[in-house]
Amino acid sequence: MIIDQEKINEAIRTIQEYGGHGILNCVQCGACSAICPGVKAGFPLLCRNLIRHLLNGQLEEIIEDSSSWGCQACNRCTEVCPQGVRPQEVVFAFRRYQGNQLAFSTSAVTSQMNLYETGHAVYSDPKELRKQVGLPEETPTSAFDEKARQEIQALINAGPMGELGLF
Amino acid sequence: MAKVGVYVCHCGSNIASVIDVSAVRDFAAELPGVVLARKDLFMCADSGQELIMQDVRDGLVDRVVVAACTPRTHEPIFRAALERAGLNKYLFEMANIRDQGSWVHGQDHAGATEKAKKIVASAVGKACNLEPLEDKFVEVTDAALVIGGGIGGITAALELANMGHKTYLVEKQPSIGGVMAQLDKTFPTNDCSACILTPKMVEVYNHPNIETYTYAEVDDVEGYIGNFKVKIRHKQTYVDWKKCTGCGDCASKCIGKAADEFNGGLSERRAAYIMFPQAVPKKAVIDMDHCINCGGRDIGTLPKVNQKTGKLILAPCEKACPAHAIDRSIAYDPNGDIQEVEVGSIVVATGYQVMDKGWFKEMAPESPNVITALQLERIISATGPSEGKLVRPSDKEKPHTITFVSCMGSRDEHFHTYCSRFCCMYMIKQARLLKEKYPDLVINMHFIDVRSAGKDYDEYYTGARKMGINFFKGKVGGLEMLPDDKLRVLAYDMEGGENIEYVSDLVVLATAVELPADATTLAQKLGIQFCGANFFRELHPKLGPVETATEGLFLAGCCQGPKDIPDTVSQAKGAAAAAAVPLAQGKVRIEPIISEVITELCSGCGICVPLCPYQAISMRTVEDRPRAQIEMSACKGCGVCTSACPSGAIVLHGYKEEQIFAQIEALTA
Repeated sequence: MIIDQEKINEAIRTIQEYGGHGILNCVQCGACSAICPGVKAGFPLLCRNLIRHLLNGQLEEIIEDSSSWGCQACNRCTEVCPQGVRPQEVVFAFRRYQGNQLAFSTSAVTSQMNLYETGHAVYSDPKELRKQVGLPEETPTSAFDEKARQEIQALINAGPMGELGLF
Repeated sequence: MAKVGVYVCHCGSNIASVIDVSAVRDFAAELPGVVLARKDLFMCADSGQELIMQDVRDGLVDRVVVAACTPRTHEPIFRAALERAGLNKYLFEMANIRDQGSWVHGQDHAGATEKAKKIVASAVGKACNLEPLEDKFVEVTDAALVIGGGIGGITAALELANMGHKTYLVEKQPSIGGVMAQLDKTFPTNDCSACILTPKMVEVYNHPNIETYTYAEVDDVEGYIGNFKVKIRHKQTYVDWKKCTGCGDCASKCIGKAADEFNGGLSERRAAYIMFPQAVPKKAVIDMDHCINCGGRDIGTLPKVNQKTGKLILAPCEKACPAHAIDRSIAYDPNGDIQEVEVGSIVVATGYQVMDKGWFKEMAPESPNVITALQLERIISATGPSEGKLVRPSDKEKPHTITFVSCMGSRDEHFHTYCSRFCCMYMIKQARLLKEKYPDLVINMHFIDVRSAGKDYDEYYTGARKMGINFFKGKVGGLEMLPDDKLRVLAYDMEGGENIEYVSDLVVLATAVELPADATTLAQKLGIQFCGANFFRELHPKLGPVETATEGLFLAGCCQGPKDIPDTVSQAKGAAAAAAVPLAQGKVRIEPIISEVITELCSGCGICVPLCPYQAISMRTVEDRPRAQIEMSACKGCGVCTSACPSGAIVLHGYKEEQIFAQIEALTA
């Protein structure tokens, strides 16, 4: 790797503009990765390692990596981070960067389609399980609410996501 | 008419890189009263001072303004230069254009230059109105007070006493020794802590120049360098220490129980107890918060008489004491007795506490097998609850896997952003001691990074790697409780870029070093300032590491910031040497920046008397009329009386009305 200050500045500015304001606070302690379910599942570029690459200025080099879409948004990284980096915000900022560059991971297509169609990125039919435990079969969410779904679809269509032509 | 000389300093690039020094000099040269204005790279250097001295000797100037860094460190230097040149040193005024200029306005060069001009104009305004003042001197009480009986306080007391000064050592616990007495061994040499500390404890206690007061606290301090009046509160022990032989029979009969603080709460002690086996003084106390009045008799009441035998019915502790040192008919008095001592200087060495594990919710603090490193220290100590045998708290079984977690509450913006400095080293020490004793033990150590700066420290760390202790770079993110009181460790291997999960029997947290709450209260009584990390603030981070903003008050050890034993001992010796200076001189100088009553103008209204925070003002009778007077040695020059006097009869020398108005005029011109 070559240290290129221009590229480092560009990467940090990009991430901060997309909402990853705390990226420069990172001291690379790794606490976020220690509890990250995405890291545990094997996504290589989440939390600590994603931030390392960004701080190295390797923004474009990792643009095609799909790890960021493995973030479950549990936000535990924010809880354990001793430096106020808010790693999840960095991951999301990187996602926004990827989305805006139309570098949309194929592995994320299903979840985006789910989001568009049901309002849930991770969705499976809940009816059977809910019936078993004695709950009403339909959840009180967008999955069973036509109006809410239309609103979500309108928002997605109006944003950069709409430009991807997935839907 | 005053002849003011203005000298603008570049301070290397500290000032000149932001402020246009030449422009400030040119501006100053045109101010009324200014006869010359010069600039120099370093006004405080020999050549800079010589510049001033030559102008004074040549009769060109008789008032000096230096526009430079800060009076906090450099005012005495320039005053001394004036004195050497034959000018009264109080005809000097400093314009602070670094701390209040270039350092805070680094982004605005033009603005900073304009502000510097105003600050200089204000200083010149005051300088035109300065008057010569004479230093005053007061006698010094040749005695010192050391607050805190840990290794820092012990060292400082011994140094002062060996220099021949009477020294009072005050410790709040029943025994001196501090945290060091709780330690098993010490890095990087693995000396037994007790073996090197207890001789010092005995030496202090038996020293002819030292009065050691344990179970005592400093209640109040009044006065000033050379003449402090200290109130020491002796907490009631309910045991006559003149008679107590330290046999411990009272403790063995006592049934009131409390968590043993000395063992980090891992065992119980009795309400009547001796703090630890090597305690100095080895004396018992009865802790009334945990005494259950088991003899059926409240403290402070006389014993009942047995109707049949006619004998007194004594409480178990009274009955057990072969020296008859315990008398429960003494009135309960949580306030204790106040003793007053007078000292010339004070060394504060109140030490530290480590954070409780309860703060770290992600670290399963409710598990008995998650402990602090200080608790592990007690577990592996021969005087600890398991007599040095490694057992985990839940089932008293030997653990197979031990995990060490660094930086709990240190380097963490939720708690303390500073590094606690000695945790890395004591964790490595504990791991090494355990690995030596139990080679089969699996020891996993997790660090953000290992900080082993110090003589022989890095060798101690690399040696630990060679012993087969596992080191991982990466902070532990969390612990999960498992059946059988085991713990799942969620960690991360920074170098390999993989997360780590394993089951551990015992987890040791290196919790942060911090100032105890009662030290904060003490600091307020003493007038000690705090630094950003909430430790006691030294006068200067580099050049005044043992002094404080209050003259005659010195710092040693962890109350000033986290430090290990060698650093604490070094600082304590430094503090003792500094504290001995006024005692050796026999008298101290009092700056004449103090208030004075002009008796002819005083109406005798007495408003000033209760306003003075230092009780320096009293009323006296002058020609049958009441008039205020100010005790010079007690006055601190705060100016409260001056501004409150309705007759304008009180002047604060160095801040007279015309001087301050001249400053305001210059600033608002």
